[in-house]
Amino acid sequence: MSWDSKLIDRAKEIIELYPQKRSALGPLLYLAQEKEGYIDDDSVVEISKLIGITEVQVRSVASFYTMYKQEPSGKYLLSVCKSISCEINNSKEVIDNIKEFTGLANNETDIESTFTFEEVECIGACGGAPAVQINYETVEGVTPTKALELCKYLKEEVPEVIVADELQDKFGGTKSFDWAIEDNSGTSSTAPGFQIIGTSEEK
Amino acid sequence: MSENIKFTVNGNELEAKSGELLIEACENSGIHIPRFCWHKRLEPVGMCRMCLVEVETPRGKALVPSCTTEITEDLVVETESEVVTKAQEGILEFLLINHPLDCPVCDKAGECPLQDQTMAYGPGESRFVEEKRHFEKPISISEIILLDRERCILCARCTRFSDEISGDPLIEFIQRGNKTEVNTFPDEPFRSYFSGNTVQICPVGALTSTSYRFKARPWDLKKVSSTCNCCSVGCSIELNTSQNKMLRILGEDNEFTNQGWLSDKGRYNFDYLHSENRVLNILNKSEDSFNEISISEAMTKIKNKIDELDNPNVKFLLGSSSTNEEYFVINEIGNYLNKDKFLSRDSSNIYFGDDLLFEGYFGDQYSQAKLEDLDNSETIVVWAEDIKDNLPILYLRIKKAVKNGSKLIVFGHTNTSIAGLADFYFGADIVSNKFELIRNPNEIEDLKNNIEGKKVTVIAGKSTVFQKKESLDKLINFLNEKSELQVFNAFSKGNTFGALQNIDEVKGLNEFCNEFDTNAKNIVFTIGVNPVNSSFFGQKIKEKLIASDFVISLDLFVNETTELADLILPTTSLGEKEGTVTNMEMRVMKQNKILPAPGSTLSEWEYLSSILNVLGEDVNYKNENEINNYLSEKYINQEKLPTFDNLNKPSNLFGVINKKDININIKDLEEDNFSLLMVRRLYGDSSTQINSPSISMLGAHKFIELNSTTAKKYGINSKVGNLIQGPNSILINIDINEYLPDDLVIAPINRRGFENIDPCLDFDITEAKNREELNVN
Ligand code: SF4
Ligand code: FES
Ligand code: FES
Repeated sequence: MSWDSKLIDRAKEIIELYPQKRSALGPLLYLAQEKEGYIDDDSVVEISKLIGITEVQVRSVASFYTMYKQEPSGKYLLSVCKSISCEINNSKEVIDNIKEFTGLANNETDIESTFTFEEVECIGACGGAPAVQINYETVEGVTPTKALELCKYLKEEVPEVIVADELQDKFGGTKSFDWAIEDNSGTSSTAPGFQIIGTSEEK
Repeated sequence: MSENIKFTVNGNELEAKSGELLIEACENSGIHIPRFCWHKRLEPVGMCRMCLVEVETPRGKALVPSCTTEITEDLVVETESEVVTKAQEGILEFLLINHPLDCPVCDKAGECPLQDQTMAYGPGESRFVEEKRHFEKPISISEIILLDRERCILCARCTRFSDEISGDPLIEFIQRGNKTEVNTFPDEPFRSYFSGNTVQICPVGALTSTSYRFKARPWDLKKVSSTCNCCSVGCSIELNTSQNKMLRILGEDNEFTNQGWLSDKGRYNFDYLHSENRVLNILNKSEDSFNEISISEAMTKIKNKIDELDNPNVKFLLGSSSTNEEYFVINEIGNYLNKDKFLSRDSSNIYFGDDLLFEGYFGDQYSQAKLEDLDNSETIVVWAEDIKDNLPILYLRIKKAVKNGSKLIVFGHTNTSIAGLADFYFGADIVSNKFELIRNPNEIEDLKNNIEGKKVTVIAGKSTVFQKKESLDKLINFLNEKSELQVFNAFSKGNTFGALQNIDEVKGLNEFCNEFDTNAKNIVFTIGVNPVNSSFFGQKIKEKLIASDFVISLDLFVNETTELADLILPTTSLGEKEGTVTNMEMRVMKQNKILPAPGSTLSEWEYLSSILNVLGEDVNYKNENEINNYLSEKYINQEKLPTFDNLNKPSNLFGVINKKDININIKDLEEDNFSLLMVRRLYGDSSTQINSPSISMLGAHKFIELNSTTAKKYGINSKVGNLIQGPNSILINIDINEYLPDDLVIAPINRRGFENIDPCLDFDITEAKNREELNVN
């Protein structure tokens, strides 16, 4: 779907932040993803018009980075770390359990569009390995059993907003040193949350 | 940056300019380093790693890509060491992992850098036993280009070309890692005027063209250098034939003109040579149909006709595809039949078929520009017909100069396609809809500031047949006074400058119509020109031709003009004749022959000198070379004359810049009340293009351009409509172009359907709603 005027205004505000229009490409792709759950062709056309590069150039960037989704994600995007620290701390079993519960292989979405499962490289939570993200909200120290409970909880309770701290309390274990800014508002979409872009407003 | 420094390669001390790339410096010293992605006309990217060499660093020897390493003082390089050899083998083994190795069915095999370098530097065997990556075998990414993604080695030559050189990046890498592929955006094909260049520079057989696919093996090709005649840039080309068929045209890297590139028109406009529609025998009209006659019958007929008509007016309408030698003979016969034989007239009877030709800026007070001047210009000013469509390689040269820092100033309203490139685009507030300057040049600050005391090159020509010379004069004289000015006369058609150099006095089609005396006896020669279809004066010319007593057409096809002839003498074309052509810099270059003249075709000069002979004139040209010697003598600079000998040495490429006095006698058109601006597009409905099946569809798209305010006036919201004038109605696409001033509508003149549209009459545009139903292409 093409963009409505509100979205275009938002896009223009973002473009304003950069000395060159084309530099706004990254954030605009997140904006598209926030809207559709993935980067659809119509959004590519809109973005290319807004920043004056060709559609295929937009698609080239959008398809290079894995966090720009090329297909619609489920309501919950489960990203499980498979890098070294997590691997040492048994992420393999976490992955297996989640796969079994959801019935999904890497980069698949279930038929009800509830879950999308992906294995990812280090998400910067090595101190609390193994780590999992739900819609990019990080939960650390997730044991294989807790991982199953987490999935069940999502499936049965279907929370609208995912808040990292809440899930951490319920399903997490050891946490790494928390140096991030205080942000407990959570996220309600599968786009990475950035307040400046508008993908993570107060919910 | 340019002082020479010393460096060592394989133990030999060499010299090169500091800042030069290692791969290039080695190449210049005769040391070849294998490569795939590096191309001397593109920015280096270091994608393929084939060019790895060992250099000494403070921490020992290291492998570096020589295409991204600049040489430095005392650099020590090994290009053939054991480590380098191992690296090359490794890289090739990697490149071949996913390569399908389908050389037996690949067009590139035999001239494929991947194949050749695998033979020269490869490991000889592969350890890869797994399944290769698969893609759908060739997908078409445009009407004329196919892409086989399995063969692609991801060198980014094609994507860099379309981004850096032609400026229409419609192909890009999609996905990442093992899944990376070159592709277009869905529904946004690789429609570029320059797409064929990517086929030529692709180092594997991934990009192929529809026209050459499965046609020949490179080792079966016969090759000759020549010069393209599609526009007046005169690009250097290589003609490739097999079994007396033209199969392919490649660009040659001529530093002074095309630098390796060609427009797709120049590259693919050749199938017509072998079209079944081509006229191969002399056609004589009796009643209303043509029958074939022999050359002697034809000559007798011409002689009898001339005798019978008793002092007729003889006029010549010329096209732009003749060689200088042919124009020279045309001039001779023109003079003979006009001045000597019949009418003792002083003024010329030779009319050149380009509506936009006018007196231009020649003579001592204007310094004639060369293409290389663009690179040294601080400012480039363009006011002419659409450069990208009519002088495509000149557009590339402008783009390159702009990239390297020249300022670009573009005057409206026909060059909107380069407006995005321009530092200043002067639209409605400076150029009126009738192409007059609304403000005096010296009041235009942005112009003044960027030209005063600077090196400036101007590309000057009429944007429409209605434009008055005076408006251009104002600009050119201002520039000439205030800046160090070089002038390009932007006459875009083929060998226009050859005609200007070799014909004593050239007139235009308007003069033809005005000077045509219906009460007199008239004989008209049309030579490689189809004004009835492509000129603003087409309708009038048609009437005159019908009113003539005898019309002789020298041409390749029966078309809107030649079908009115009493006699069609079939002629030779590119590759079938030898001669010289002159480009817009006054550079005389050679066209070479590689194909036999088909059927009973002859060159234009052969017919014309035969005609002179039957009329009793004692001319006896043996061949092109002899004519070339005559015409060469008349060039001003006697030091280096454009004789065949001089042009062939040291290579065909560079040509000879030389001048002759130019005498154009064309007056402005009086009427200027046009309602529709009709412009020439690169692709159209010329007889050669519509008879070249691989590109004929490119000239089928019908469209108009206007800005949104004008569209609103017509009440148009959709992208499809009808252009209506009297009984004519054309289904068109409507392109909104905001660079255009209000109330100006642009339509193509050289597209089917538009030949009956009169730019001076009122027209209407109506909306057509349903695109799918209408099936506009
Ligand atoms: S298609 Fe050819 S030119 Fe383009 S990236 Fe692939 S190998 Fe290189
Ligand atoms: S390795 Fe898993 S978060 Fe770093
Ligand atoms: S030629 Fe140097 S990396 Fe490709």
